[in-house]
Amino acid sequence: MKRILAMVLSVLMAASVFTACGSSKSAATESKSDTPSAAAAGKKVSLDVVTSYGGDDGNRKNYEAAVKAWEQKTGNTIRDSSGTGNEDWKVKVMNSFEVGSEPDVLFFFNGADSNKLVKNKKVVSIDEIRKQYPDYAKNMREDMLGASPVDGKNYSIPVNGYWESMFVNTKVLKDCGITVPMVGYTYDQFLKDCEIIKNKGYTPIAASLAEVPNYWFEFLAYNYMSPTTFNTMPQSITDDAGKAWINGLNDLKELFEKGYFPKNTNSTTDADTNNLMAKNKAAFMIDGSWKVGWFEENMKEDMDGDGKPDIENIDVVFPPVKGSTRASTDYIGGISMGYFITTKAWNNPEKRDACVDFVSHMTQDDVVSTFCAAGSISALKNGVISPSTASPLVKKVNEMNKKVTGISAAVEDLMDNKSVRTPFFADVKNMVTGKLDITKAVGNVIAAQKAFQAQTSNSSEAS
Amino acid sequence: MTALSKRKSPVSVSKIIVYLVLIVWSLTTIYPFIWVIMNSFKKNAYIQQSSFTLPVGKRFTMQNFQTAFERIDIGSAYLNSLLISIAVTILVIILAGLSAFALARYQFRGKKILESLIVASMMFPVFATIIPVFRMEYRWGIVNNDNNLISLLSVILPQVAGNLSFAIIVLRGYIQGLPIELEESAFLEGCNVVQIFTKIILPVAKPSFATVSIFTFLWSYNDLFTQMFFLDRPGTRTITLLLSQITSQAGTNYGFMNASVILVVIPVLIIYILLQKNIIKGMTIGAVKG
Amino acid sequence: MNAMIYRKKGALFLFLIPSLLFMAVFLYYPFVMNVINSFLHITALGDKALGVNQPWYENYVKLFQDPLMGVAMKNTFLMILLTIVFQVGIALVLALLVDNIRFGTQFFRTAFFFPIVISASALGLMFNLVFLYDGGMINQLLQAIHLQQADLPIDWKDKSHALATMFIPVCWQYVGFYFVILATGLNNISQELYEAAEIDGATKMQRIGCITLPLLRNTLCTCLVLAITGALKVFDLPWVMFPSGMPMDTTWLTGTYMYQQAWKLGDVDYSSTIAIAIVVLGVVLSQAASRIFKEKEY
Repeated sequence: MKRILAMVLSVLMAASVFTACGSSKSAATESKSDTPSAAAAGKKVSLDVVTSYGGDDGNRKNYEAAVKAWEQKTGNTIRDSSGTGNEDWKVKVMNSFEVGSEPDVLFFFNGADSNKLVKNKKVVSIDEIRKQYPDYAKNMREDMLGASPVDGKNYSIPVNGYWESMFVNTKVLKDCGITVPMVGYTYDQFLKDCEIIKNKGYTPIAASLAEVPNYWFEFLAYNYMSPTTFNTMPQSITDDAGKAWINGLNDLKELFEKGYFPKNTNSTTDADTNNLMAKNKAAFMIDGSWKVGWFEENMKEDMDGDGKPDIENIDVVFPPVKGSTRASTDYIGGISMGYFITTKAWNNPEKRDACVDFVSHMTQDDVVSTFCAAGSISALKNGVISPSTASPLVKKVNEMNKKVTGISAAVEDLMDNKSVRTPFFADVKNMVTGKLDITKAVGNVIAAQKAFQAQTSNSSEAS
Repeated sequence: MTALSKRKSPVSVSKIIVYLVLIVWSLTTIYPFIWVIMNSFKKNAYIQQSSFTLPVGKRFTMQNFQTAFERIDIGSAYLNSLLISIAVTILVIILAGLSAFALARYQFRGKKILESLIVASMMFPVFATIIPVFRMEYRWGIVNNDNNLISLLSVILPQVAGNLSFAIIVLRGYIQGLPIELEESAFLEGCNVVQIFTKIILPVAKPSFATVSIFTFLWSYNDLFTQMFFLDRPGTRTITLLLSQITSQAGTNYGFMNASVILVVIPVLIIYILLQKNIIKGMTIGAVKG
Repeated sequence: MNAMIYRKKGALFLFLIPSLLFMAVFLYYPFVMNVINSFLHITALGDKALGVNQPWYENYVKLFQDPLMGVAMKNTFLMILLTIVFQVGIALVLALLVDNIRFGTQFFRTAFFFPIVISASALGLMFNLVFLYDGGMINQLLQAIHLQQADLPIDWKDKSHALATMFIPVCWQYVGFYFVILATGLNNISQELYEAAEIDGATKMQRIGCITLPLLRNTLCTCLVLAITGALKVFDLPWVMFPSGMPMDTTWLTGTYMYQQAWKLGDVDYSSTIAIAIVVLGVVLSQAASRIFKEKEY
């Protein structure tokens, strides 16, 4: 059952990417038809809202503009307490529910992170909301709303999603006499290229195994799986996922042993290795849609003296493929956060209307489109409205997204963040250096995840 | 007559060595600051490549500061920071001053235990105590209160508690070192204990109070963690908090980070220089007394 | 005489109670919660306990068996030692030197204080640039004077250099802190004592040894206690420079390891246990220090 579900999901997601990047015709008309019962008559209310669009989020300005537009339209006020979506922020959000100081509207992770909110009925399901507001979230694809792992029901409405793929520095490749990888780039060719790049004195792969080995792990394990099967946690070290993880980690170890990672990969930070790409010192880097803005910000100068801004050295391609289970054009992507309405606000008759109206406003087509401008996917039925001016890198991203044939969500999002994912990725450095046996490490993950599930899911699992 | 001018010593080799040592150490402490200033005016791309050059020509930019001013309501952020830190400092020196005086001069049962407790409380890392404190303050209704000033109080109170033990220990050490004769003569003139504290101890221990104020102010001002946890509402955010928030995701935008450091440090430097004068005043009093 | 002034204990309570109330509510109450939590099973900071540990003292056993806690302990002891020797030591030398000069005292006082003004996290970022592998300040410098080949930079954060790279900035930053405290203490020493000693023909060294240091004893003892407690709590700088015990789990300190357990791994009960260990260690060590430096009553 799960597999069929996953398969359907990934096909639909792939389809949505096409629509996301193709120009959508009906979007403009759709966005005009306004969302449910606009501003409740009478009293003006003030809503407490928490999102992860505070701090330096790439969409902070879009978020603030959208909030302001709503305030002007309705005369209500938003008391915004948004922060940066990191671990401390998550703890604070969960803590606010625990002591009863939760916000009215919350933009939060829809995966395992929100399990407790769902289980303790702290947030309202979309079904429940639709009993009173039938049009709620009707502009979104049901299957992409991001159902809760607890009961398979939808609780949140997403905005912008993510993808993971490989950035390449074309200047480095050119200097080594290597052509930019194209669809069908094989792992063997990748190894040969790495050897040449290394001998030329460059770093083949910009990654910190000490801090963020996540993306390389994902794709190397993905090579032994397919978009329909990849998004499952292994149940034992001998099942498909378990074997794929072990094989993938062994490939990672091999890349490390061959010296394709930076010399200091076990003692450096992610930020420093990113810099290797920006400074034209490394060739390959697997990362996500959120890095597009970073490259544009950090490579706008012409430091290599070729008369063009350095950002033109960056291209984005599909990671090398090994074997045949994953197609070269399959990548990782999904939508991991969405707007929740809390039970506390829902049960407050003064706020109910306003909450629904606010979330509808923040998730209407043209607002979502502004959030997706840097080439990220959305759950909109009509796709995003293409931005009129896309930067060169975003154009390259759009080119890649057009070719996608299959998408799987990142498998790391299935792991419990604290008791499973963090210790697992912290151990990658020990695996590649041989301090920890890879099979044993994968066994540890399986055990830890099972312990986590036993502890949190007392209710029946979603089929 | 200051203490310093009494000593007469000819220019000697030892003097030169003394100055040399002092100058070398001050170079290590000042240079980073200059480096930060220099790089705050530099385009990010050039910082790692040539961080030791002057920000001139194509390297120069005002963009880093511009971003900060665009993104932050600097005036209200400074105001919030100063309100918190000044309130914390004043409360700490009053409360700690009284307690330090009591511990330095009184003998009573359980004093040793009390002292150990105070030392122990210095050891509590703030991230170990913050959750129970948050829950407690939430029950009191002062976290994210509609009134911004009350919200600020939710940071002030735990910060006062966190700085008290340090202040008590330093002040007690100083007061204990004061000769008791002054207090004795005041007592004979009919002063009560409270008067002794305000008329004798406070003025004489002024340098020590100034020292404690500086550190308390600094720690309160730079204590990102507590501020991060309690101050959510836009109207209550402090300068340290806001700048760190917008730099945290900048990753390697070193230029902007340096500009943030400068903006955060400016008020602290001003206050330090003001209190520094106070220390000198305290010193002269000390000399007269001696 | 002393006894006469301070015999009436009435005012004592007035003096002590406000501070104690503050500490009780904001420090001891959470600490007691910590003690309770160390026996429970809690997986997220905002959550209620899921039950009592099996066996209830599980965390305390773990504390002694956890190899990373061993690393953290070892590094923290080293930190304490280095703090006392270098931070307080250098601060004392500098304070004595500044006390002996006429020109520029004000300048040096301000200068030495600079590193404390800048928040530790900002300093951490700066030192990251100083020790950077690729194009950092030190490697650039070494290459400029041909002590290092351009294609063979030293990785200052690898296993063999990491501890030194971590300890140097931490020690350096807080020298100014102890300097200010000691300098304040030195000013409190009566000038007449020096003059009397000078008339008696004592050399400068003798004056320092026989007058300054003994009279500075209380202040030094304070510094020692502060150094021990400070070293146990060091957090920001190492965390910014060496997140998650990098490289290869060699740079853990008790503070950073506790933070990792509570905020990154969600093992709240174990992190509470580490917090207790930190406090107990701090009290024992600082008590020992006070004993050794037994304070003189005047």
